[in-house]
Amino acid sequence: MLKLKNYSVENVLENIDIEFDTGKTYVIMGPNGVGKSTLIHSIMGRPDLEVSGDLTFMGSDISELPVDQRARLGMYVAFQAPTSIPGLSNFQMIKQALNLKGSELAEHLAKFRDTTEKFNLPKDWDKRNVNTDASGGEKKKNELIQLSLLNKKLAMLDEPDSGLDVDGVKSLVSFLNEWRTQHNTLIVVTHYDRLIYDLNPDAVIVLKKDGVDIGDTDLARRIFSNGFDNV
Amino acid sequence: MTIDNLQNNLYKEGFVTELESETFPAGLDETVVEKLSKIKNEPEWLLKFRLKAFKRWKEMSEPQWSELDYNPVDYQALSYHSAPKKFDKDEIPPEIFETFEKLGVPLHERDALLGLDTEKPKPDNLIPTVAVDAVFDSVSVATTFKAELEKHGIVFCSISEAVQEHPELVRKYLGSVVPYTDNYFATLNSAVFSDGTFCYIPKGVRCPMELNTYFRINARNTGQFERTLIIADEDSYVSYLEGCTAPAYDENTLHAAVVELVTHDNAEIKYSTVQNWYPGDENGIGGVYNFVTKRAKCEGKNSKVSWTQVETGSAVTWKYPSCILKGEGSIGEFYSVAVTKGKQQADTGTKMIHLGKNTKSTIISKGISFGDSTNTYRGSVKINPGASDASNFTKCDSLMLQDSRALTIPYITSLNDSAKVEHEASAGKISEEQMYYLATRGFDEDDAMNLVVNGFCKDVFQKLPLEFAAEANKLLSVTLEGAVG
Repeated sequence: MLKLKNYSVENVLENIDIEFDTGKTYVIMGPNGVGKSTLIHSIMGRPDLEVSGDLTFMGSDISELPVDQRARLGMYVAFQAPTSIPGLSNFQMIKQALNLKGSELAEHLAKFRDTTEKFNLPKDWDKRNVNTDASGGEKKKNELIQLSLLNKKLAMLDEPDSGLDVDGVKSLVSFLNEWRTQHNTLIVVTHYDRLIYDLNPDAVIVLKKDGVDIGDTDLARRIFSNGFDNV
Repeated sequence: MTIDNLQNNLYKEGFVTELESETFPAGLDETVVEKLSKIKNEPEWLLKFRLKAFKRWKEMSEPQWSELDYNPVDYQALSYHSAPKKFDKDEIPPEIFETFEKLGVPLHERDALLGLDTEKPKPDNLIPTVAVDAVFDSVSVATTFKAELEKHGIVFCSISEAVQEHPELVRKYLGSVVPYTDNYFATLNSAVFSDGTFCYIPKGVRCPMELNTYFRINARNTGQFERTLIIADEDSYVSYLEGCTAPAYDENTLHAAVVELVTHDNAEIKYSTVQNWYPGDENGIGGVYNFVTKRAKCEGKNSKVSWTQVETGSAVTWKYPSCILKGEGSIGEFYSVAVTKGKQQADTGTKMIHLGKNTKSTIISKGISFGDSTNTYRGSVKINPGASDASNFTKCDSLMLQDSRALTIPYITSLNDSAKVEHEASAGKISEEQMYYLATRGFDEDDAMNLVVNGFCKDVFQKLPLEFAAEANKLLSVTLEGAVG
């Protein structure tokens, strides 16, 4: 699904090699400030990040593609601190993104309301403006609702659990279990041990200042016991 | 045969209709005013009104206080009347139909235009929602659904016609809100006004359809001086919209209109404008000078006037739709989206004058500027000593892109301690963060910009009649096209 080779992000990460396979779940861990968010936003193509090396998505080199095209190829990022867009309603954004008309519109609105309910968000959520007048936790849930409606093959979630209460985390796990299939790939950046164990990832990737360690949940366990430096 | 003007591809309405027209030679003096009045067959009192105004105009000089910088108008180089030749309202030249069809104005209710509709049975589900008065250059071309409206006692026709058919009404109200001495351009208008819309809604009547006037300037080197007068008698309601376009000529065209609105007890007028006059090319050559005086007098208790405008065109705009809140409990509202790009300049805003007790005003102004343009909001809230418990809420937001200028110049004068005046303002750019967020959702730059700007304007667009909110959205999209980078 996604392949990084000799991949560097100026001033942040150097010469990383990682492969993400279809149908698998990955967790990215690492000390604060090491570049986890930067990594996933660089994959998304954020214009201010200087990237070098190979970046392949579904077999094609995407290093020259603008962000919106990568999104349309099936890439998604859930923001750590989602951006507010006053005057644009949550459902309107989905409607425009998918160019919904006619009966599709009604179907998607129903699905939207359904998912909103599962996350315990207010009934008029479709009319609320994107990430405006919303609590931190509500904004994080909003990122997941969008994921549920947009057709995505690769979801990169940046600390999706932060800001969620205990029920919120349960909903998150339940949602991700439903979302992930043999045909898509999930990458989750998190510090939260419970979430990692509940997700039971196929691999745990630890970003460190001097490189990358790849292991399984045992690696995560050891980090939680001994810290990043002693592993 | 219509010819598409190639000077400005981006301005769709820039085409020209080749038409034989009857145009006065350039120049302005008493005889021109007299000739104008005569050609319209006007009564003596109206000719006197014009001449008084013209005499006054000669003593006045053009205002210099605005932020606007434009080539002076040579008033002697303009023609003050242009009407398509061989014009008989019953025999509308086909070219005019074509023009309006091209512009998307629903003029092809052929039956209504030819006056055949009253006899013909209509299918039950065809309830007209929009009646149109089309003004081509200086003359009202056609007014649809007049018969239908007459059944309710509603008068909706050109001002020229109103002068003939309802002279008492015109005489009573003309100049009662904007006196002929008011300002340079209003005075000029009072002398040479061409045509415009007249509307009277009788007591207790709620106008059953949107009233719409569509203005189109076609002849070169003419000034367009419309005069619109709308009167809502006690307990009545009307929603009115005007749309405007003009071809892409090199010379500047002057549009100096006057709009007067009067509301009696409990009456309401909703007045919306979608303005897309030719803005000039990217070097600032050509374009319409839009110098307009619009004012409402809320004469009656609890009466209400809302001005909603979407301004995207004209080279230079100078207009302040205002409300005189005289009746106790009367309400004035102003919602505006003004977009400037290239070399356009806009100095626009409103004046809310609180005279009566418990009067309320709301001002929401959104300015969007690109390129080298200057976008100024100039607003005045005046609370007179007698206006106890008056309140005003003002919100002015500016969105600037590239090196444009945005200015906000509020004047607030409150002479009554119990009045409440709130003012909020914000200025900013479209953030890169917002553009990136939308890009990650699959929106390209143009679409992302559209979404952000539409969101910015939402408060105002929501106030437009439903039929026109879509048109305004489309106009905004077209205006924004290619505005990034």
